[in-house]
Amino acid sequence: MTPMRAMVIDDSRAMRMILKRIVTKLNFEAVEAGDGKEAVDLLTAMTEVPELALIDWNMPNMNGLEFVMHVRADPRLREMTLVMVTTESEQSQIVRALAAGAHEYVIKPFTEGAMIEKLALLGLVPTGANS
Amino acid sequence: MSVEVEVNENDLAEMVEQVWESYLDPEGVSPLIPTYDENQPSEVHSSVCITGSWTGHVVYASSTRAARRAAGAFLAMEPDEVSEEDMSDVLGELANIIGGNVKAMLPPGAFLSLPQVVLAPETTARYPSASRISGVYGLWDEEPVSISMWHSRGDTSSTTNTTNNNKEGAE
Repeated sequence: MTPMRAMVIDDSRAMRMILKRIVTKLNFEAVEAGDGKEAVDLLTAMTEVPELALIDWNMPNMNGLEFVMHVRADPRLREMTLVMVTTESEQSQIVRALAAGAHEYVIKPFTEGAMIEKLALLGLVPTGANS
Repeated sequence: MSVEVEVNENDLAEMVEQVWESYLDPEGVSPLIPTYDENQPSEVHSSVCITGSWTGHVVYASSTRAARRAAGAFLAMEPDEVSEEDMSDVLGELANIIGGNVKAMLPPGAFLSLPQVVLAPETTARYPSASRISGVYGLWDEEPVSISMWHSRGDTSSTTNTTNNNKEGAE
């Protein structure tokens, strides 16, 4: 069976490492990008679109919200599941991200278990993958 | 009309606890032990600036050893394998996470900057027009770590109410 692919987009290498460890454990193949612009460039070059993107909000060049809007405007990328992973925890920001097309929202700091639960809710990993 | 801002030391301590539980000490064996010593030394620090409905800084400061250990915990490496770049990256992310959660407690209309990292001690010279209003000070495996909140004196948009006395001019 072909493993699913996840794109981890964060300007912090440390945060990318943490997210990559989690998705790799869940049998995803992980690709990293340091900001929204780099992620768009990678997606343009890819023949197969990743099933999942974990997206930070505050990044240089292209922020997470702009990336979500870019993805939603591109029919080729419509199947991607988009999860914001960010410190932006105000209700109004969450609403903005979901309205722009993000499917889920994870607030930093998060535990590995909390992230896996969110991915299970989205049907990307089996329920109970955390146990 | 001024807006009263309430972010007290208990709020900061709760955020810090979540950071430790999530990234720095997921096993729960090495918490930050409070010292309540706002003058404890630091060798490196990172900060984010908040502007808008409240103006000030959130600062994470520690010894170099504690910063290396934090980077090691994030990156799943031994502290002595951690590069200066790794340390800067993790210090920046820690300031970003704590600053973002502080921002969420402020009145709507606050904006968070990207983090700044300085591999030098935290000094008041870096925030010449701000006063420390709250903080969590402790030892992590016997190394100093502090998280503090600084209010810019020129900010007339809000007043700040904390459980700590204002430390203006005390640094």
